[in-house]
Amino acid sequence: MNKPNHAKSKFVAVASIAAELSAVMHVAKEISLAAANAKAIAFRAGEKAKGFQPITDFINELAKETIELVNDINEHALLLYQMTVDEHRMTDACHSFEKVVILAEGAPYASSLDKSVELAQQRMQFCRTQFRIHVNQLLDQLEGVMHPARAARVIAANSRIEASQAGEYLQSLQAVAESVDNAAQVIHDNVQRCRSALSILNVTE
Amino acid sequence: MKMTKLYDGSYQWIMYGRDKNKPSNIIDTNQYIIRTAKRCLVLDPGGIELFAPMLAAVLHHAPVEEITDLFASHQDPDIISSLGLWDQALPHAKLHAPALWEGFLRHFGCETIEYVGIPDNGGVIQLDGADLKIIPAHYLHSSANFHIYDPKAKILMSGDVGAALEEDGAPIFVDDFNAHVEKMRFFHQRWMPSNQAKRDWIDRVRKLDIDIMAPQHGRIFRGDDVNRFLDWFESLQVGIAV
Repeated sequence: MNKPNHAKSKFVAVASIAAELSAVMHVAKEISLAAANAKAIAFRAGEKAKGFQPITDFINELAKETIELVNDINEHALLLYQMTVDEHRMTDACHSFEKVVILAEGAPYASSLDKSVELAQQRMQFCRTQFRIHVNQLLDQLEGVMHPARAARVIAANSRIEASQAGEYLQSLQAVAESVDNAAQVIHDNVQRCRSALSILNVTE
Repeated sequence: MKMTKLYDGSYQWIMYGRDKNKPSNIIDTNQYIIRTAKRCLVLDPGGIELFAPMLAAVLHHAPVEEITDLFASHQDPDIISSLGLWDQALPHAKLHAPALWEGFLRHFGCETIEYVGIPDNGGVIQLDGADLKIIPAHYLHSSANFHIYDPKAKILMSGDVGAALEEDGAPIFVDDFNAHVEKMRFFHQRWMPSNQAKRDWIDRVRKLDIDIMAPQHGRIFRGDDVNRFLDWFESLQVGIAV
């Protein structure tokens, strides 16, 4: 991969994470709303939906946990974006300094640039190392979001069982279970896309 | 990069420009340095494309540790989009630039270099023995804009005022003012928005003793051509797009 395309792919990958996370956040809020809805239905259903009531609390907690995790990841993704900018600038500086060294050959003060060149190369290496570290940390954080998403799918399955015993509330509660299941799937898919984008960066690094 | 010495006294003024390797789709610019015994001020250092040839050229006259000051007349990319690279190259330097543009100019990258904001009424840059006056030139063409006047060398670095759109490789100095006028007309009428600002600047500049007027594009004016320019500019209606 040539350098400009590599830089571009980095910017696009990091920016796309923010877009995917924004969708995750939206879905997590939907789950939270579904939990509140389910709680109201379960309350009206009384004894018939007794088994469903603790599930609604659990769904709500999962939604909250997902929102908190995504907030943390968003902050980290912003930091990673700034690192991408810093690294891009340092790489540019190093390339420009290489040109200066060639053009200034024979100039009386050409060697005065040596320290700046060395410093810029060190900074570029530091930026690259930091970038790699933070990509790995972000990958771990994204893995963390997968856990509540997987748990939500299990809960959705349990919810369907509990809903089947809720008599005339069957359809409403099944709809809640369906909504949680779909949301968990969307979160899983979006987070997976984030992880793929970051993994590519790790490989191309 | 062509180098032309404009003043050679106890310090030097050097002009850099007419870079043969400049991409053809970017406007040609003149850069200037004032080199004293221990310091060097780069005036309108140029765009990012020009950084390498410009720094390489300056290294003929000063080591990086003695390039202590940069001046940006305004915020345009052809003036100072190279800032982020100078920021990595210069271990300790100041950027003298309009205070009004600080938040904008920092987008180019300015971590190491100290930003010294110039207030609207201008000021002075003291460079060893050279006291350089910062002359307000607001709205010519940028809303916060300054020129540099050196009373000892009698040189006015006039930014975009006096600029001309020329073919590549044009001569450094104006040799036929009347022929040169048409190369300046559109530039001034279209990029300069205010007749009021123009008159204010002319009144200021007429009080200065100027041997050389050195714009950021095109050719440099010497001797009587400076007054010819001021007379021509005074009679020109600017801000023609509306």
